[in-house]
Amino acid sequence: MKTYTMKLECEGEMDCPKEVVMWNYYDHEHLVGTHFTYYKKARVLAERDDWALVYRSGNMPIFGIPISGMGLQFMEGNVMKTFHKDSIGFLLEQETHFFDLPNDRSKVKVIYKINVPKFMKLFEPLFQNMFKSWFKNVWAEDAPMRLRRWKVYKLGFKDFKGIDYINKKLSKPAKISYPKYEFTPPIPVFSDIKQPEGMERPFASSVQLGYND
Amino acid sequence: MSIETTETSSTKLQGHQSNLKLLATVDELRQKNWQLTKWVDGHDILLYKYEGEVQAISNVCRHFGGPVGYHKARGGKFTCLWHNWEFSCKDGTCLTHPGLPLRQYELKINNNEIYINLEG
Repeated sequence: MKTYTMKLECEGEMDCPKEVVMWNYYDHEHLVGTHFTYYKKARVLAERDDWALVYRSGNMPIFGIPISGMGLQFMEGNVMKTFHKDSIGFLLEQETHFFDLPNDRSKVKVIYKINVPKFMKLFEPLFQNMFKSWFKNVWAEDAPMRLRRWKVYKLGFKDFKGIDYINKKLSKPAKISYPKYEFTPPIPVFSDIKQPEGMERPFASSVQLGYND
Repeated sequence: MSIETTETSSTKLQGHQSNLKLLATVDELRQKNWQLTKWVDGHDILLYKYEGEVQAISNVCRHFGGPVGYHKARGGKFTCLWHNWEFSCKDGTCLTHPGLPLRQYELKINNNEIYINLEG
């Protein structure tokens, strides 16, 4: 059968180093936290160093199309490759390219590709609209998380400890030094996300008060 | 702290308790349905009323730094947006990992103004 590759490229810039964005992509638990409106459940099936096999279920942002399937993600230099097999049978190939920009900023380019029977070429605009919307909406939910992660890091935040001057009931020091942000997968987890039951979003709806910065 | 309490005068707050910072007004907190978050001098504060008392705890989850007060509290618990860690509204105790409580802050309420002690 003749096939055709539907393709879409999306880009975004972020006011934080690319390593923070990489951390965000490898933090699987936030799927049902930060993205609690889209994802219902996530389970890490296996994870070593910079690769992870993750089961996800939820809904696409437009039409509410249910999605579920497994995705394998891994790094090749500054490119994260993801192969996502959905429940219908399509294989979504995703390349996420990370670039440094001046002043601790970064750029991300995501390329989505699906190989389909050639007669399905006419559905490419639908594919592109769906994934443009997906990229835009998920990016909007991730952005404040990345910016806040970078903000607290610059205040001396350490994972599983917090911010030292806050814990010690002190005012913020005049100067806080911090090392270059390093991305060191895998991200440690302490939830059920690696257990057979996986991790589910905690509530069907929520009064969202939002971020304050 | 009960919102009816007037601890001290505005002059004393500024003159003798320099660590106190104006955080919000009671009206502002009421308008936000008794829960708001605000950054003050490098401290991200979660201000709320629980069982009739106005309280303040750190809004920075000690797991990865997420916003504890993003969702409106329910069932006496805050649920951090990022990874669903839960904290008691009573005193900031972490219910998910009890060894990682959120810091509580001292408050002083003077008339309509809520002051916070960043070193207390």
